[in-house]
Amino acid sequence: MINELMVLLFAPLIAGIAAWAFDFRGVREAVGLTGALVPPILLAKAYPGILNQPLSYTLKVGGFNLSFQLNALNWYFAAIASLVGLAMALGMVSTSRSGYEWLFALMSYTGVLGVFISQDFVGFFLLWELMTFASFMMVLRNNRHESLKYFVLSIVGAYAMLLAIAILYTKTGALDFATIRQALYMDISIGAIGRGETILLFLLFLTAFGVKAGAVPLHVWAPGAYSEVNQSYTAFFSGALSKAGAYGFILIYILMGAKLYTELGTFHGHITFAYIMAWIGAVTVVVASFLAVLQEDIRKLFAYSSVGQVGYILLAFGVGTELGFAGGLFHVLSHAVFKGLFWLVTAAIILQTGKTKFKDMGGLAGKMPFTFAMGLIAVLSLAGIPPLAGFASKWLIYEAAISAHMPLVAGAIFLGSGLAFAYVVRFLYAVWFGQRPSDLDDVKEAPLPLLIAMAVLAIPNLLFGIAPGLVTEYLNKALGSSIVGGDYFKLVTKTGTYNALLVTIILVLGLAIAGLIYLYGAGVRRISVTNTYQSGNPVTEEFNLSIRKNFYRPLAEALDFWLKYSWDRFYERLAGIAEDFGDAVRQSFYNGNVQSYSWYLAIVLLILALWGVL
Amino acid sequence: MIDWKLILEVIGMLIYATFMGFIFMGIERKAMARIQRRIGPPIYQPIIDTLKLLGKKESVTHGFIYDFGPVFALGASIAALLFIPIANFQLFSSNADLIVVAYLLEVPMLGIMLGAMSSGNPYSAVGVQRGLLTMVAMQLPYGLALIALIQHWGTFKLGEIVALQQVHGWSVTVPALLLALIVFDIVFQAMLGLEPFDIITAPAEISMGPMVEYGGKHAALLFTQHAVQLFAETAFFAVLFLGGASNLLELLVKQIAVLFIAIFVASIYPRFTIDQAAKFFWKWPTILGIIAVLLTV
Amino acid sequence: MSERKNDDFISYELQEFKLFEPLFKWARKKSLWIVAFCTGCGGIEMPPLATARYDFERFGIMPNPAPRMGDLFLITGYVTPKTLKRIIITYEMMQDPKYILIHGSCPINGGVYWDSYNVVKQFDKYLPVDVAIAGCMPRAEAVMDGIMEIMRKIESGEADGWKRYRENYEYYRKNQDELFGEGWREKDARRWLAWI
Repeated sequence: MINELMVLLFAPLIAGIAAWAFDFRGVREAVGLTGALVPPILLAKAYPGILNQPLSYTLKVGGFNLSFQLNALNWYFAAIASLVGLAMALGMVSTSRSGYEWLFALMSYTGVLGVFISQDFVGFFLLWELMTFASFMMVLRNNRHESLKYFVLSIVGAYAMLLAIAILYTKTGALDFATIRQALYMDISIGAIGRGETILLFLLFLTAFGVKAGAVPLHVWAPGAYSEVNQSYTAFFSGALSKAGAYGFILIYILMGAKLYTELGTFHGHITFAYIMAWIGAVTVVVASFLAVLQEDIRKLFAYSSVGQVGYILLAFGVGTELGFAGGLFHVLSHAVFKGLFWLVTAAIILQTGKTKFKDMGGLAGKMPFTFAMGLIAVLSLAGIPPLAGFASKWLIYEAAISAHMPLVAGAIFLGSGLAFAYVVRFLYAVWFGQRPSDLDDVKEAPLPLLIAMAVLAIPNLLFGIAPGLVTEYLNKALGSSIVGGDYFKLVTKTGTYNALLVTIILVLGLAIAGLIYLYGAGVRRISVTNTYQSGNPVTEEFNLSIRKNFYRPLAEALDFWLKYSWDRFYERLAGIAEDFGDAVRQSFYNGNVQSYSWYLAIVLLILALWGVL
Repeated sequence: MIDWKLILEVIGMLIYATFMGFIFMGIERKAMARIQRRIGPPIYQPIIDTLKLLGKKESVTHGFIYDFGPVFALGASIAALLFIPIANFQLFSSNADLIVVAYLLEVPMLGIMLGAMSSGNPYSAVGVQRGLLTMVAMQLPYGLALIALIQHWGTFKLGEIVALQQVHGWSVTVPALLLALIVFDIVFQAMLGLEPFDIITAPAEISMGPMVEYGGKHAALLFTQHAVQLFAETAFFAVLFLGGASNLLELLVKQIAVLFIAIFVASIYPRFTIDQAAKFFWKWPTILGIIAVLLTV
Repeated sequence: MSERKNDDFISYELQEFKLFEPLFKWARKKSLWIVAFCTGCGGIEMPPLATARYDFERFGIMPNPAPRMGDLFLITGYVTPKTLKRIIITYEMMQDPKYILIHGSCPINGGVYWDSYNVVKQFDKYLPVDVAIAGCMPRAEAVMDGIMEIMRKIESGEADGWKRYRENYEYYRKNQDELFGEGWREKDARRWLAWI
C-alpha cells in the first residue's frame, strides 16, 4: 500500500515525465493537469485530522533515511503551494506549447512540496536542488544570460547550505530536524559550538534562504528570471518557490532559535538575530519597491514587486513575537494568492497582445473585461484596500511591528505600501485605460482555462479578506497559542481590532448612498476618447493622448543620487572581473607556444626527478 | 437585533458631517478672500455650487470606471467617517482601529485616480502621476508621526486614545508628540490638497488635474466627497492630537482651529513642484519624525 | 445633412428636474462658473473684476479651467476664425444649461474691425448669445452690470441660449460649416499634428 504522502509528493513528477513522454497536444495537458490536481485533493482530505495527528513516512534511499511529515505548519505551506500550482497548471494549459515546460514545471512543483514536508536535511537538500534545477531549466529555455545569473546565485546559496549542514553534522552527529533541534538546545548549557561558529552557521543559512527568497543584496536574479519564463509558470515561481525561502527562515527559528538567542543576546530590547532579519526585510521592501515604480516593462515591474512583498514576510518573521509570525504566515497566503493572480493576468495580456512593454499597450479594459476585473481584484489586494486579503495580512504586520517597538522598520512598511499603490496604479493606467493603439483593436478575451485559473486565485482573495478569522484560527492552532482572538470575521489583538465584515458592509452602504446621488442626476451619454479637453484644440485618434513612457520621471529625478548605485551592475562587474581573470590565466598558460609547453614538460620532469619518483 | 439608536446616530452624523464639510470649504474660500482684502463668497457657497452641479441637465461618460470612480471615492469617505469617534458618539469606532482609518482615508484618492485615468485625458494622467507621487512622498513622515503616537499611548484603538488623553492630558503636552504634531501638520497640508502641496490639481497649470473631464453630477459627487473627507480628516487630527471632545461644539472649535492653521499656511506659500515636494518630505519632516519615534520607543 | 461627428449631443434627451427646479434655478444664478478662456483683447478687464476692487467672487462667480464644469462663457472682444473654432469646441463641451456673455462691439457688428478680412462680424450667427455688453472695451462696472443682467435673466427664465442652440442647430451648423468648410475639426487637428 503506497503511503499517501509519497503519492502527494511524487504524483506531479510522474505526471510531468508522462507529459514530456507523450508530447501530443491534448494528452500532455490532461496528464499535467491531473498531476497538478492530486496534491490539493489529498491535502484537502488530510485537513480534518492534521491538527491532532501528523502524518509521517520514512523513505530509505541508498543508506539514508529520508523522513517526511505533514504537521499543521507544513500543511499550511503545502496547501498554499498546491493552490498556486493548480492555478499554474490551468494557466499553462493555455500558454504552454511543449512537453519540456510541463516536465520542469511539475518537477519544481514536486520539489517545493518536498521542501515543505521533509524532516531531515538530506531530503530537504535533495528536493531543494530538484526545485532549483527545474526552475533553472525553465529559464534556460528563454534566456541564457538570466538563467546563468540565477544558476550562479543559487549555487552560492546551495553550497552555503551544504556547508552549514556539514558543520551541523560534525557537531551533532545527526541529520534529522528533531535530533538537531534537541542537540542545539542542549548545547546551550554544554557550549561545544562556540560563538563564532554559531554566527557562521547563521550567516550561511541566511545566504542560502535569502537567495531563494530574494532578499537584498541577493535579489539580482529575480527580475530577469521572473521575466524570462512562461508567465503562467511565474505565478508558481514567485508565488510558491519564494515561500520556500521564507520557510527556511522559519526553520532557522525552529532549529537554532534558542542557541542564537543565548549566543547573540539582545540589542536595545530586541533579539539580535531577529532584528537583523527584520532589517534585511525592511531594506528589501524599500529598495525593491522604489525600483518597481521606475520600471518600463510589465514583467520586471511585477518581479521587483514580488521581491518587495517577500521582504514584508521576512520583516514580519524578524519581529520575533507571536503576532509577527501570525502576520508573516498570513502574508505568505495573501502574497501567493494576489501575486499569482497578477502573473496570470500578465500571462493573459502577453498571450493575447504579444506586447511586454508599457508603451505598446493601452485601453484594453473594454476588450478583456473579465481579465480586467481579476486584475482589479489583485490590484486592490496588493495595495492593501480594506475588505481584501492583502489588507488583513498587512494590518497584522503593522500591529506586530509597532507593538514590538520597532518603529523604523514599521516606517519602512508605510513607505512600501505607498510605493505599492504607485506602481499598481501605473500598471492599471498603462494597460487598461486610456487610448488604445491601433494595432490592439482586435484583441479578444483570454482563453477559458486561463480565466478559470484566475478565478481559482481570486476567490481566496475575497474570501480571506472578508473572513480573515478563518486563517488566523488555523494559525492559532498551528502555532499552538491563541495569538489573534475574535471570530471568523473579526481580528482582535491586545491593542487593536479589525472587523472585516463590518468594514465591508459600511463600504457597501457608502457606495449605495453615493449611488443614490448618482442616480438622481442626469443620465449619461457615452463619448469617445477624442472628445476631451485639450485647451480647446481638436484632437483625432492620431494624437497620443496617454502617458505610457517614463510615467514616474519626477521620482527618478528626486532619487538620482541613489540610482547611481546598483546591485545588479555590481554583480555584473564582479562576474566580468572573474571572466577577465580566467581569460588572462588561460591565455598566459595555454598560449599555443611550443617553447612554453616544453618548459612546462621540463619543469614537471625536474620536480618528479627531485621527488625521487623517476 | 437592529439598533435603532445607532442607525439614527449614523444618519444624523452623515448629514451633519456633509453640511459642516461644506461650511468648512466655504470658510476656506472666505478666509482666503479676506486675507486678500476682498469680500469673498458667503460661507454656504459650496452648497450652492454642488446644487448647481447636480442640477445640470446633461451628463457625459467615458466608460464604466469613469462613473464608478467618484461613487467609490464618496463611499470610501463615508466609510472612513463612520469609523472615527466623533465627540461623544462612538459610531463604529470599536470595530476598526487607527491603521484601518488611516488606510480608508487614502482609498478615495484611488477612486478618483481610477476615474481620472479612464477619462483618457493627458492632463488627468499628469494629475494622477503627481497625486501618486505626493502620496508616496508623504507616506514616510505620516507613518512615523502615527507610529510615535501609537507607541506613546500603547494602543491602536481610537476610542482608547481619546479616553487616555482625557486622563493624562492632550497629546500635544508630551514633547515627543509635539514633534509628531509638527510633522503631521505638514503632512496634513498635502492630505487636504492645499498650498504648498496642491500640485495634484494645480489649477492654472494642468486645468484641474484629475478632474478635468468631470462635470455635472460627477463633479457634484466629487465636491461632496471633498466635504466629507475634510470633516473626517480634521476630526481625525483632533482625535489624535487634541484630545477628542466631549460634545460636538468643542470638536467644532478644535476642527476650525486646525483648519485655520492650514488656511493661513496655504495663503502664504506658492506651489512646490513634485520633485521639490518629494525631496522636502524626505528631509526635515522625516528627520523630525525619526526623532519623535525614537523618543517614544 | 453632413454627418455629426461631435458625438451627437443633439439627439440626447435633457433631464428635467420637476421637484427641485426653483431651487436649482436659484443655485444656478448664485454660482456661475466662468470658463477660464479669455478670447480676445477684453481679457484685460477680467483681473480688475476678480481682484479686491470689484470682487465678483462675492456673487459666487469663480473662474474654472475645465469647461465641463463651467457654465458662463465670456467672449471678451473680437473673434477671429481660429479662435472661433476653439470657442465652438469648448462651448460644445460645456453642459447644459450654459450662457454666453459677449463684451464689446466687435462680436455685435464687427466694431473697430468692421472691414477686416479676419474678424467674425456677427457672432450671433455661430453661437447663441444671452447678454451683449456694448463698449470698446466695457469697463469693469459695465461688465458687472452685464453680470447682473444675466443673473436677472436666469431667474426669470429668459436666458435660453442653450435651448436655442439645440432647437436651431441646423442654422448654426450651416453657418459654421460655411465659414470653415466641412470636416473642419479633423483638418485642423491634422494641421497641428506636425508640431506635436
